[in-house]
Amino acid sequence: MELADRAVGFILSVISISIFTYYTFWVIILPFVDTDHFIHKYFLPREFAILIPIFAGVTLLSLLCIFIGIVMLKSKKKKA
Amino acid sequence: MKHIIKILSLLVAITAFWIGLLETSVVPRSNAWLLPIYLIVSLGCYGLLMVGVGLMRFPTCPQEAGLLQKDIAEAKEFLKQQGVDVGCD
Repeated sequence: MELADRAVGFILSVISISIFTYYTFWVIILPFVDTDHFIHKYFLPREFAILIPIFAGVTLLSLLCIFIGIVMLKSKKKKA
Repeated sequence: MKHIIKILSLLVAITAFWIGLLETSVVPRSNAWLLPIYLIVSLGCYGLLMVGVGLMRFPTCPQEAGLLQKDIAEAKEFLKQQGVDVGCD
C-alpha cells in the first residue's frame, strides 16, 4: 500500500514537471526561435497552447460538477 | 492578512508586467496573450507537484501503530475484566 502511494506520488510529480517543462518551452522559448528551425516540428501550432488548457479546465470543471451532483444525490437518498 | 497583501501585490505586479508587454509589443501580441494561461498552467503544475511530493514522502510510523494496537488490546482486556461491554473484538 505504501509503495503504491509512493509510486503514484512519483508519477504525479513526473507528469507535472514534464507538463511544466514542455509548456514553458512551447510558450516562453519558442517565440524567440526561428520559424524554420527543426525544433518547431515537435510542437503543435500556437493556437493549441490556448485551446488545450481551456479544454482541459472546462472538462475538469464539468467532471467536478458531475461528481458533486452525484454525491449530493447519494446523500439525499440515504437520508430519505 | 499579510499573506493576502503579498498575493495581491504579486498579482498587481504580474498584471502590470503583462499590460506593459501587451502595449510595448516587444514580443508579438498573440504571444503576450498567452501569459495568463501560462500562469494558470504553471499554478496547476505546482499544485500537482506538491500533491505528488506529499504522497511520496507521506510520513508513516509503523512502530507507533503497533504500540497503539497493543494499547487497544490492553484496554479492551481491562474493560472486559471490569464488566464493560466493548463490542466486537
